[in-house]
Amino acid sequence: MITVALPKGGLLADSVRLLQTIGLDFSAFLESSNRQLEIWDTTHSAKALLVRNNDVPVYVEYGQAQLGIVGYDILREKRPQVAHLLDLGFGRCRMSVAVKASSPYRSSLELPPHCRVASKFVNCATEYFKELDLPVEIVPLYGSVELGPITGMSEAIVDLVATGRTLKENNLIEIEQIFESTARLIAHPLSYRLNTGGVQERIAALRGAVTAAVS
Amino acid sequence: MVYQPPVGARDLFPLDVAQKRWIEEHVQQVFHRWGYHRIITSTLERLDTLMAGGAVEPETVIQLLDLEGERLGLRPELTASIARAAVTRMAGVPYPQRLYYNANVFRRAERTSHNRQQEFYQAGVELLGSGGVAADAEILLLLTDCLHSLGLDQCHLILGDAGLTRSLLSAFPSSVQAQVRHAIAHLDRIALEALPLTDDLRERALLLLDLRGQPSDVLQRVSSLDLDPQQRATVNNLKALMDLLQESSDREQRVPSLVLDLSLIQTFDYYTGIVFEVVSSSAGQRVLGQGGRYDQLLGLYHPKGETKPGVGFVLNIDHLHQLLLSSGRLPSRTPPSDWLIVPTTPKAYAAAFAYAQTIRDSAQLVRVEMNLGEQASPEAVRDYARQRQIKQIAWVSETGEATSETL
Repeated sequence: MITVALPKGGLLADSVRLLQTIGLDFSAFLESSNRQLEIWDTTHSAKALLVRNNDVPVYVEYGQAQLGIVGYDILREKRPQVAHLLDLGFGRCRMSVAVKASSPYRSSLELPPHCRVASKFVNCATEYFKELDLPVEIVPLYGSVELGPITGMSEAIVDLVATGRTLKENNLIEIEQIFESTARLIAHPLSYRLNTGGVQERIAALRGAVTAAVS
Repeated sequence: MVYQPPVGARDLFPLDVAQKRWIEEHVQQVFHRWGYHRIITSTLERLDTLMAGGAVEPETVIQLLDLEGERLGLRPELTASIARAAVTRMAGVPYPQRLYYNANVFRRAERTSHNRQQEFYQAGVELLGSGGVAADAEILLLLTDCLHSLGLDQCHLILGDAGLTRSLLSAFPSSVQAQVRHAIAHLDRIALEALPLTDDLRERALLLLDLRGQPSDVLQRVSSLDLDPQQRATVNNLKALMDLLQESSDREQRVPSLVLDLSLIQTFDYYTGIVFEVVSSSAGQRVLGQGGRYDQLLGLYHPKGETKPGVGFVLNIDHLHQLLLSSGRLPSRTPPSDWLIVPTTPKAYAAAFAYAQTIRDSAQLVRVEMNLGEQASPEAVRDYARQRQIKQIAWVSETGEATSETL
């Protein structure tokens, strides 16, 4: 028996679809009436937990789930002790720096020293500006980061950009891309080493499914 | 003013202590049966000492300054301290030396963690002065015996060889070697695939990442690599160790289910030979203990660089405690007193204390507690005794006459 932690939100449909290709059916999570947080596969050989994006690596790190699917952005932000096994290719987006379109800044280095940068990804933002050797004040927010520059609280934001529509509608422009993110398959290290619940077989099947989809 | 303990600190109350000691006493008995002797080293060490082995990051050490401004640290583990202490007595001591410890260690919690524990308890052994397969086997069998004494026969043992893996990594160009090692140590296949490597080397890296499984399979896969004589000798040693363990388990020496895993390495460590982790089999698998061989470590502490081989392991008492709590094997209450001695009048205390002492002086341990006059009536005294599960009461008069009563 294995347990897979799946993220609520944008990555869920693709994750469920991918697991279906290896014979694990958790499509009940996709029904709008679903309120369950834990679903057994019809064959009862696997269980899925439905958790917040941020919490996927937590359940995997503590071994309550042997496998998990989560965006690289979260892994980069939280640096959990998990095995990074497979780039699943979906959920593609980028971590970017954005400013008000009306501002004079067109690259990160043009930002004034000690300016404020709002972000949900405090560690990613801190690390990025540290590498640039640009001292900035990171303002942690939990959502609607775009309001930072709009209200004048911050000069810039560091946030995930998928299509760029939200930025455009809020008169913001992307000035730098920090890294690209896709969904990743992660595993609990000890379960991976010990092949708990036959987890290696599932990983191999997923690898096969992803390779087949690419080629 | 409310005085609170520091963040992450914990007090152990009598029941916690009784349970912790249950674990420690079982393990200690096994250590004694294998001829190990206890060593007690200083809780405080110079920071240099702690870091000499290269496996300890200064930011994980809780640091202090002494009066001269010397940087000190609370030990995060015992092996460095024991190595430092052992070299001072290296000359004129017969080897091998078998040492064990049972001590508290400290690790600074990461800033991102909330209220995480900073003081831990460990029991472990170090076998100094013996470098062969037999010494490795002794350590692994001793570990097995400890687990058995705790009723934990269902554990898994993950075993690697830090020396062999390091040597196999030397095939990689020095510019990427550290990254390859880091990716393998952290099981980061995605990073490994992204490194700028030739196809051959990438294949080798991916092979190393998943070089684990049934010992015989793994040994066969390693043997098929292009090995130098030194590597081949190490593989043969590993094979000899596996055979020895197998043979021991055939002779009813229990050995936990074993995974040979050559990706089991740390980014930085002082291990030169076998390395291993014991993992609980229940859900939310945790590392109960770990260890390995360190044949160069003692030399780092010796003024002339003379070294002795060493191998050891440590058991994480806190993890064992949590795991055993659900097993029902730990004591569920502190032992009750056998006797309650009650002076019948305020003037009878001297006689009561004397009477209590005669019972205490018996050959076996008898727990005798004195009633201090908190209960107003004989019935209240009996209630108290029942509540505390004390089976016998002795009422002692001023003249020393005692009347026993069994509840």
